[in-house]
Amino acid sequence: MKTEHQTDTPMVEIRNVHKRFGDLEVLKGIDLTVNRGKIVSIIGPSGSGKSTLLRSVNHLEVIDQGEILLDGVQVNRPDMNGLAFERHINHIRQNMGMVFQHFNLFPHLSTIDNVTLGPRKLKGMDKKIARELGMELLDRVGLAEKAEVFPNHLSGGQKQRVAIARALAMQPKVMLFDEATSALDPELVEEVNRVMRGLAEEHMTMLIVTHEMTFARDVSDWTMFMDGGVVVEECAPEKLFSNPDQERTCNFLRKHLGDNH
Amino acid sequence: MDFNLMVEVTPLLIEAAWVTIDVSARSMFFGFFVACGLVFLQSFRFAPIRWFARGYISVVRGTPYFVQLLLVFYGGPSIGVRLDPITCGVFVGAFNIGAYMSEAIRGSIESVDSGQTEAARSVGFGKVQTMVSIVLPQAAPLMIRSVGVLAIVLVKNSSLVSIISVVELTYQAQRLIGSTYKPLEIFTLSALMYIVIVYAVMGIIELAYRRATRYTTQ
Amino acid sequence: MEFDFGPVITYFPTLLKGLGVGSLVAVAVAFLSVVGGLVVAVISIYINKVVSWPLRFFIWLFMTTPLLLQLYFLYFGLGEWILIPAILVGILGLGFHYMAYNADIFIATIKSVSGGQYEASRSIGFGHVATIFYIIVPQAFIRAIPQLGNNMILMVKDTSVLSAIGVAELVHASQYAISVTFRPFEFFIVIALLYYVINIFMELGQAWLERQTAYRR
Repeated sequence: MKTEHQTDTPMVEIRNVHKRFGDLEVLKGIDLTVNRGKIVSIIGPSGSGKSTLLRSVNHLEVIDQGEILLDGVQVNRPDMNGLAFERHINHIRQNMGMVFQHFNLFPHLSTIDNVTLGPRKLKGMDKKIARELGMELLDRVGLAEKAEVFPNHLSGGQKQRVAIARALAMQPKVMLFDEATSALDPELVEEVNRVMRGLAEEHMTMLIVTHEMTFARDVSDWTMFMDGGVVVEECAPEKLFSNPDQERTCNFLRKHLGDNH
Repeated sequence: MDFNLMVEVTPLLIEAAWVTIDVSARSMFFGFFVACGLVFLQSFRFAPIRWFARGYISVVRGTPYFVQLLLVFYGGPSIGVRLDPITCGVFVGAFNIGAYMSEAIRGSIESVDSGQTEAARSVGFGKVQTMVSIVLPQAAPLMIRSVGVLAIVLVKNSSLVSIISVVELTYQAQRLIGSTYKPLEIFTLSALMYIVIVYAVMGIIELAYRRATRYTTQ
Repeated sequence: MEFDFGPVITYFPTLLKGLGVGSLVAVAVAFLSVVGGLVVAVISIYINKVVSWPLRFFIWLFMTTPLLLQLYFLYFGLGEWILIPAILVGILGLGFHYMAYNADIFIATIKSVSGGQYEASRSIGFGHVATIFYIIVPQAFIRAIPQLGNNMILMVKDTSVLSAIGVAELVHASQYAISVTFRPFEFFIVIALLYYVINIFMELGQAWLERQTAYRR
């Protein structure tokens, strides 16, 4: 695997990861390194395994082989079981922010409570301080005035911005985005992208699975094209989107970028 | 309609109605613990424990409550279980409704979108905390509704303990019909009392439901 | 604590006879309650308020009071006027009880058939009544099958309650045997087992019926 972008220390390391669902092998030995402060996008057709890979980083999918490291600490630990692993994974996950395609906001909690629940319950943060932090984050995603509103009264774009604030509230080392804008109406995509760009400017480490080619090209430091459970090609976005080496990448981009290429 | 008679028997029926309420309320109370126990047993990794819980639920739901009551009350002494009628009514009621209730509780927990659990786990919440802070509050409205329906079933089922001579509303009604030969009057009164009890239960359920769904209206 | 199932075997023919009576009652009640429930539902939805209001009151009353109380009322109430056998009271009592529950289901499923179906039928030239019978009711019936099945499974278990008014079904049939053999535990265990087996078959039947009609729903 090419790893030229490895100029800094690695934050997320994915090594030879395999995953199968029954007879179907969806990840056939994936390697990827995301360095501190870098933004890596994974693109590919649906069913390529890109979402499964991202979910594996958060251990929402249990990988069958290989290893995943967060800031040098191994995420999957086949050697641990029961309560010990439970404690381990809960601790690891507190350092990762995950943003889902379908938001998964907690509908029984107000916006501000969605954001502050983690810090309060998991980090024992004082209620007042948590609230200040929560308001600051909501302000950052442009939703400070919606603090007391319940999720069912928010638009899709607003929900996703709250979900990002909720993930940020745990002060994660890395943010994982699982097709964060694909469930949104086209006119709501930009408000979420704007928040993500803001994070990029602050040098948040991000691993993004997306269908938005233009966004991936503009924001990423590194792009990876996956198909059929393997990495077809990975390189800097400028190269991948203008002059890919592989025929499959070319075909995929032609379909998804229209007449630009 | 013989209104004098109705006035005369009302105190007797009210007294019996309290027994109905008492038996139902205690069955409900203990039944809730039976239900939670069954839900808990079904979450075990060790399969035979799960099978036991599933088997228990299947048998209790697959046989008439009436026969269960007769089995324990009349058959119980053969295996050393001697219960007075009211205790027998309360416990058979509890162990019966517990099986139905465990299914209602499990169903409402499973109705919560799995994305909610994933989101909570991805923040770093443990299994127990995810259940307490995220899943249960969202399962609560459906749980209250379906457990509420069972509470009403329980009140109506409690009439069957009259067969093992607990002097509750139906027992008293039957006795009074037999002695006064005024079925319509007695039926009207006792039906009215059941209706009052059922509506009181429905009121409590509605209050609990509103409390549990406050967030959707805000 | 020693069990002796010998008496149960001795009196098994009696139990089977009870089972036969119980089954007969169940079939009659199923027919009465489903057909009656459908009629009550159609009338209470489509006919004017003067007719539908008492019917809805009947549904409500039977759903909010216990079966056993209703049975006692019918048994003693009807006994005032005419001499009718317990089995008939049992069929009527259980039949009315489940008729109310089934009517409640049919009312919901009839209302769930979309207005578009009504309009489409009228646009072809069907009249109001023909639309109800050929278009609305068949769809509502198929949609009601899963819940009707649940009710019928409950109903079969409730036939045991009829022993209280002297219907010679399974539980009642065991009474004499128990009183002479003093083996209540063994008898009631076997009765429970018989009910359990019937219940399993009914659940299988319900699942089969749901599969058979699923594509029409």
